[in-house]
Amino acid sequence: MKKFIVLTLFISSLLGSAVEIEKGIYKTILKALFPTKKVIKVWSDDPSKKDLFESIPGIKVVNEKKIADILMLFNTLNVQRNSNQMIFANGYLILQRNKGVVVGGFYWQKGRPNLIFIKNRLEKVGIVLPTNLQKYIEDIK
Amino acid sequence: MRILSLFYIIFIATLLAFIAFLYISIEEFEKKIIKNIQNVILTNTSYFADNIISTIKKEVGNKNLYEALKNNPQLRSKLESKIQMVVTTSFRYIYMLYRDKNGRYRYLLDGSLSDKGFFDSKLDVNVKEWDKVYVTKKTNVFFQSGIDNLWITTLKPYIVNDEIQGVLAIDFSTQLLDNFSKILNPIKEMFLYIFLAIIFLFSIVLYQIVIHLKTKKEIIIDPLTRTYNRIFLRDKIEKLDVYDYDLAMLDLDHFKKINDTFGHKAGDLILENFAMLVKRNLRDKDFIIRFGGEEFLILLYKGKNKNINSKKILERIKKAVEEYDFIYEGKTLKITVSIGLVKDLYKYANIKEAIKIADKRLYDAKYSGRNIIIDYDISYDALPKNNQIDIEKVKLAIDNNRVICHFQPIVNLDTKKVIKYEALVRIIDENGNLIYPNSFLDSIEGTNIYRDMTKKLLEIVLNKIRTKNVSISINLNLSDLIDNSIYKILYDELSQNKIYAKFLTIELLEYEKALNKQLLSKRIDEIKSFGVKIALDDFGSGYSNFSIFEVFPIDIIKIDGSLIKNIDVSNTSYGIVEAIVKLAINLKMDIIGEFIHNEVVFSRLKELKLKYGQGYYLGKPLETI
Repeated sequence: MKKFIVLTLFISSLLGSAVEIEKGIYKTILKALFPTKKVIKVWSDDPSKKDLFESIPGIKVVNEKKIADILMLFNTLNVQRNSNQMIFANGYLILQRNKGVVVGGFYWQKGRPNLIFIKNRLEKVGIVLPTNLQKYIEDIK
Repeated sequence: MRILSLFYIIFIATLLAFIAFLYISIEEFEKKIIKNIQNVILTNTSYFADNIISTIKKEVGNKNLYEALKNNPQLRSKLESKIQMVVTTSFRYIYMLYRDKNGRYRYLLDGSLSDKGFFDSKLDVNVKEWDKVYVTKKTNVFFQSGIDNLWITTLKPYIVNDEIQGVLAIDFSTQLLDNFSKILNPIKEMFLYIFLAIIFLFSIVLYQIVIHLKTKKEIIIDPLTRTYNRIFLRDKIEKLDVYDYDLAMLDLDHFKKINDTFGHKAGDLILENFAMLVKRNLRDKDFIIRFGGEEFLILLYKGKNKNINSKKILERIKKAVEEYDFIYEGKTLKITVSIGLVKDLYKYANIKEAIKIADKRLYDAKYSGRNIIIDYDISYDALPKNNQIDIEKVKLAIDNNRVICHFQPIVNLDTKKVIKYEALVRIIDENGNLIYPNSFLDSIEGTNIYRDMTKKLLEIVLNKIRTKNVSISINLNLSDLIDNSIYKILYDELSQNKIYAKFLTIELLEYEKALNKQLLSKRIDEIKSFGVKIALDDFGSGYSNFSIFEVFPIDIIKIDGSLIKNIDVSNTSYGIVEAIVKLAINLKMDIIGEFIHNEVVFSRLKELKLKYGQGYYLGKPLETI
């Protein structure tokens, strides 16, 4: 019983810390992409991420793609672009397959968090990233 | 108890140290094992890394690795397949990155089975550690923390023509470490639980000791004054080296008056503040003990230092008490303290004897006008006589109601009828033996116990008068009437038993020094105003002084037994008795002859027209009337 409690607490703390890291990264990404917006409307294809985004101040999760400022993709491998909405990949494969569409991607690889912003997509939407994020810009054709 | 506690503490501390040692040993053992595992891993990793780099070099030759792989996906696939053969659950990720012109690390090859990266795509790594390889051109090994299940990462440079074209990374997982921990953790946990159990046990023992000490302290502390009590004194006496201390007995002057006037709360306040004042003037090694109601005992430490002046300390206390304003309900009350001091305790058989002397000196301080310290050199008379029982036993007898009176009849020699009784005090010891006054009166004379004994005697006698409706005489010293406290007891008892006072006769011992004749005369008049008769005891012996009849209103003369007992054989005794009888008749006083022990004596006294007498011939002292 004690072991179970200790294990549960340990896992909870690990998950808790992973969630906090992820939350911090998404906060940085979204504030960098929308520096002037007071409320950023986010749509996600993964309902389980709703709580994560809603816990970030200044972020509002919307159910309709049309009204969203950015689409966060976790599960959609092949993205079809219908509007000028910003799209962000949250998986390595999603990013690799949709380099021409997404503005960037965030994913975990080999236990390490990886962040990429795609240069020409940023230029297209006229976003200039803050200095601390410049090193994550990739010139991918 | 203290030794047992010490034993427990040492035992548990040893046990704790032993368990801690075992626990630390296991920790050390674990560290050593891990170190060995690391060495094995690093040896294997180095071997794998050398083989992989050798394999790549075989395929690529001296060509630029990036260029060779960029243009040849088949080669990439072939090399990655070869690398994959080495990948296990422990050697989790094996991949090769290169550093681009922007300092970012990108994939050349990735033999990993999962989380596989594409050629030339970026991987965010620990740049600091990876850059070290480019700087040193040597293998770099570092430990991961906070990265999913990774433990050790080995980075080996791929060098061609002294140029680093890539870095081979082998990530070793924590799986082996986890398996090892799974084996060791139960043992460590077991020791931890034992350790915690002992800590718990230790805490309980400590708690018990603290409770014990606290309770022990509470038992020996007087709750009102927070000074020690008599239990402490009793326990301390056994352990105390009396030679290291001077001893003082303190008593608040007129304390009863404060209690009677302002109530017990005021009395309590004074006691509290008095104790505080005394403590403020004492040193760490001194002790203050509440000995009785308003009586305190102080043990003043001097050790081997003969220069310590205990009297100075007591002077300081006396002055502090005298100058202190005791504020009770807005009223300022003043009080003083009388002190009896005993130094050089080695002169006494034990501390109890010293306490008795201090008590006597305190009594003398009271007698001499209060608010003073008496510390005069001990005289032989002040020491207890050999046949005297312990003063504590007398006090105990009073406290435990073991004081009784025997009553000897005083008879009309003409009618042989009993006209009154003389009360003779006795105490019963713990074993039920009767103790006569010659075994304790000298011992308690001049102490507060004597005062308590007088009070007890009066209570017994007045109660007997009340219940038996008879006249009874008691013996007092003339000095008892000078003593304020004894006189007050007498006066109070008579005031409360006015209707029975006329049945009481006080026999005064005439050889006592009358220090203040004016006061004595006044007080005898006051006593007589209740109807009490005054007899002059043992007249004709000692320092008989006829002038006493001019000063004090005497009703009865009691001729000393030493004259009476020889009246049948000594003409001198006969002549003296005859003269005393004539004196009494002339002064219109009643006269009683003591020690009538046979018929001849009885007959001779009758010839002399002696009216009353007492003695074994007429009646022995008995407990009942």
